[in-house]
Amino acid sequence: MDTDEETPLDEKARRTRDLLASFYSPIPSESSNNPFSKHISPDDINSSSFQPDQYMKILARKSNLEGLLQKHVEMVAEIKNLDTDLQMLVYENYNKFICATDTIKRMKSNILGMEENMEQLLEKIMSVQSRSDSVNTSLCENREHIEKMHRTCNLLRKVQFIYDLPDRLGKCIKSEAYADAVRFYTGAMPIFKAYGDSSFQDCKRASEEAIAIIVKNLQGKVCSDSESMQTRAEAAVLLKQLNFPVDYLKTKLLEKLELSLTDVQFIPAVMKNDSPSTHEEAIHEFVEAIRAFRVIFPDSEKQLAKLAQDLITKHFLMIEGYVHTRISSEDLLGVLRVIWNDVLRMDEVLEEASLSDHSLEGTKDAVKLYIISAFSHLTHDISDHLLKVLKRGGAEDYSLEVALDASIKAVSDGGRKVLLDMHKILDDNLEIIDKLRELIIDWVQQGYQDFFRDLEELAASVSRESVRGYEYELSFVPGVISQKFRAAGEKFLQLHKEPREVHMFVDLFLQELKITNNEVKQILPQDLTKHRRADSNGSSASSRSNSFREEKEKLSRSNIQKGRSQQLLETHLAKLFKQKVEIFTKVEYTQESVLMNIVKLCLKSIQEYVRVQTFNRSGFQQIQLDIQFLRTPLKEVVEDEAVMDFLLDEILPSIDFPPSLFCEQVIVAAVERCLDPIPLELPILDRLIQAKLAQT
Amino acid sequence: MQAASSGIGYGLKYQARCISDVKADTDHTSFLAGTLSLKEENEVHLIRLSSSGTELFCEGLFSHPNEIWDLVSCPFDQRIFSTVYSNGETFGAAIWQIPELYGELNSPQLERITSLDTDSCKIKCILWWPSGRHDKLISINEENLYLWNLDVSKKTAQEEFMMIWQSSSTAFPYIQTKPQVQSQDSAGMLHKLSGGAWDPHDVSSVAATCESYLQFWDVRTMKKTISVECSHVCSVDYHPQKQHILVTAEHESGIHIWDLRKPKVPIQELPGHTHWTWTVKCNPEYDGMILSAGTNSTVNLWLASTNHEELTTERQVDSSARWVDPLLNTYSDYEDSIYGLTWSSREPWIFASLSYDGRVVVESVKPFIPQK
Repeated sequence: MDTDEETPLDEKARRTRDLLASFYSPIPSESSNNPFSKHISPDDINSSSFQPDQYMKILARKSNLEGLLQKHVEMVAEIKNLDTDLQMLVYENYNKFICATDTIKRMKSNILGMEENMEQLLEKIMSVQSRSDSVNTSLCENREHIEKMHRTCNLLRKVQFIYDLPDRLGKCIKSEAYADAVRFYTGAMPIFKAYGDSSFQDCKRASEEAIAIIVKNLQGKVCSDSESMQTRAEAAVLLKQLNFPVDYLKTKLLEKLELSLTDVQFIPAVMKNDSPSTHEEAIHEFVEAIRAFRVIFPDSEKQLAKLAQDLITKHFLMIEGYVHTRISSEDLLGVLRVIWNDVLRMDEVLEEASLSDHSLEGTKDAVKLYIISAFSHLTHDISDHLLKVLKRGGAEDYSLEVALDASIKAVSDGGRKVLLDMHKILDDNLEIIDKLRELIIDWVQQGYQDFFRDLEELAASVSRESVRGYEYELSFVPGVISQKFRAAGEKFLQLHKEPREVHMFVDLFLQELKITNNEVKQILPQDLTKHRRADSNGSSASSRSNSFREEKEKLSRSNIQKGRSQQLLETHLAKLFKQKVEIFTKVEYTQESVLMNIVKLCLKSIQEYVRVQTFNRSGFQQIQLDIQFLRTPLKEVVEDEAVMDFLLDEILPSIDFPPSLFCEQVIVAAVERCLDPIPLELPILDRLIQAKLAQT
Repeated sequence: MQAASSGIGYGLKYQARCISDVKADTDHTSFLAGTLSLKEENEVHLIRLSSSGTELFCEGLFSHPNEIWDLVSCPFDQRIFSTVYSNGETFGAAIWQIPELYGELNSPQLERITSLDTDSCKIKCILWWPSGRHDKLISINEENLYLWNLDVSKKTAQEEFMMIWQSSSTAFPYIQTKPQVQSQDSAGMLHKLSGGAWDPHDVSSVAATCESYLQFWDVRTMKKTISVECSHVCSVDYHPQKQHILVTAEHESGIHIWDLRKPKVPIQELPGHTHWTWTVKCNPEYDGMILSAGTNSTVNLWLASTNHEELTTERQVDSSARWVDPLLNTYSDYEDSIYGLTWSSREPWIFASLSYDGRVVVESVKPFIPQK
């Protein structure tokens, strides 16, 4: 039932749409037809290709009577419907048409009459315009006339002014009202520029002459010192307004000022003798000039400041030169005081230049230089002193003690003098020094430190022994000597021949020792108490020691020749019984002790060198020879003043004389480091030593 | 004589120069010492400090073919050590291994793992890689430095180390089948190298002592980097904790402490010994504690400040008031020059010294360790 109800409704709507479409559009669109139309084309009642006969046939064939009747009823109803639809459409359309016609009628009646109104309006506007034009033209003439008259009036007034200008300027010159004159002239200037060559020629010439006079007068005013500052400054301003090259004037004046500065004599050396008036006057002038200048040329501060600073700098340079010539502190103070006064005065007129800072720097440098040079002079004096001593050193009578005394005196005197000088500087109540007080104290302290360091270096280089001897620093001597051994020691290894003579290093060693001995004797006192005691039993002891030593030597020689294992055993045994030897006892400040220690250290060094080498027989024999030769002179060095015996008997009674002990240790070391330690025969040894002795 | 000192003594049969701490032995405090006898049969002693710390006993005694001028224990294997030796004419160097079963043998022979054969130059010392297991070694002779590549591979069958000098490299560009000359000093005979130390902080840097200079070599580029002037320098040791700090001993002028960032002037000088200062060693643990040994038969214990800033500020303060003697103690229980000196790395308050007459003395510095 549902479907039955819907289909006719749908169909109706569609049909209505199609009808409307066919009415409004000329070509009935195919697409509007539903797709079924193709299939049911002949019997579809709605299609355009509907064939009633065929439709009837099909219908008759398909349906029974009842169905046909029903179809008939349906169709009639449908046709009725369609008819009413069509009627309604037609009616509606007619209605609309009538409405449209009415509207058009009304519009037509409304537009009539409007055009006439418009034309009237246009006419009226045209007449208003023409009237206003006529009024304008009638007034224009009068207006132009008035303007022309006004211009003429102005011009005439100016012409009058220009014609009057020379007179006016003249009046101004008379009354010295230069400011007005300049104002007038600069006012007239444009006109002169435009017409000066034609109508106003005379006038221009006359006023230019007047202005020239004015310029001259003004220049005179600016340059003259008699005029007041105010007027001079005003004159400068006026000149500037007249386009006069003021800068030129300024530089000229500055140059003049600078030139006058060169006259400001500042010769420190002269200063103290001469009365300071000339300098003071010059400075006074300079200060005045600066003051004037500042007023006249307000923008000239920078140049002035530079000028003043240059002056100060120049002065300080002179002071530096002066300081180099070894001046006293009073001189320095005097010079500084003068400068400081100058600076204070200049500062009054030129605060911007920060002259006091500038001069503070300068003073700082100068004082520092003074301190440094004071110390360097001091050092120089002392080194001169020592050099003199050293030069004399070639001569027999040179004495380290004297040199030392002299240099100590020089050091203390010089130091005191410097200190006094510094005190003077510090005690002075000069303001600038006050400001630098802390710095100066620092410098002086620094100076003293440097000085003493220099002094130490000097002392170390010039007279090592004299200073160091006191300080219980002796190892440097073996240091020097051992350097010489070093080279010599290396050569031992290369020896392949039997030794022919005592090696050169022995000579060097002895030579060095002799020099040291000489110096030590001058520095250090003898051990007098011990000496006396040694003297008393000297003779007997010495003989004893000699025999003792010989025995010992024999023993050591025999050691060498013994078998190795036996020798080892012996050394071990010897170690057990030997009291431990304090090799390096504390050095006492006596000649004997110092010399003894030097010899000990040297021999110990030789021993150490020997220990790091390996020798063949020849090398060993060379060492044997050298050491044997050394024994005697070494003993002489130490034996001097009969210390030897004392040493033998009282200090170290149980052992041999230390140098001999060390000599032996060198030999022992050499034996240990030799693969084939066969010593030289005694006669050969003696012969070689004798030959060497004969040489020297 | 024994009673007078706190030290524990031990006697070698012959004269001796070198003693080394056995760093790799972490269970005992042990030292290796080698004798120096031209004519006798030389020995290497393995010395051990008893656990009570009151006695030294001989743990092993091995014969060594030549007199020993330098001996260093391998830092990573307690049975390996290197020696520099001489038969009186020529010098040589070798790596040795203590045999496994030496306790059961009467006179065990050392196993020579390899020789470090170079040219005829007088070899001075061997430097092991500063710490840990590593295959690099340096040997220094009078003219050259050699860098060796040590290939240690354990063979399972024989429990034996194989050492091969290889021409392959991992870390360094120069590893030689035959070692190449690393450095040749142009000055020739005048400047002979005498020893050196490997920087533990920068393993590319080696310091070598050279007569009057301390030279620094970069082992990567094989070039000399800087040279510090100090006369007759004979021993050098790096500060174990602080980089750039090292200590030198000089024959005549004592001990100098340097900061390599300011190599012109030493940061501190210590007076050294009354005769030559032979060797100097920094304590591995305690900062500033330095030992020096000299040919005046003494060992000195110093406490130096290694801090440069501290030093300078101290100097500004009133120096006399605050000055403390850097010399803590002098050990003088010796009868001959002392050439051998070493700290124990296991017990860093203990050191061993060896004097030329063959006497080993072990001392404790405990009383002098500064209280923190």
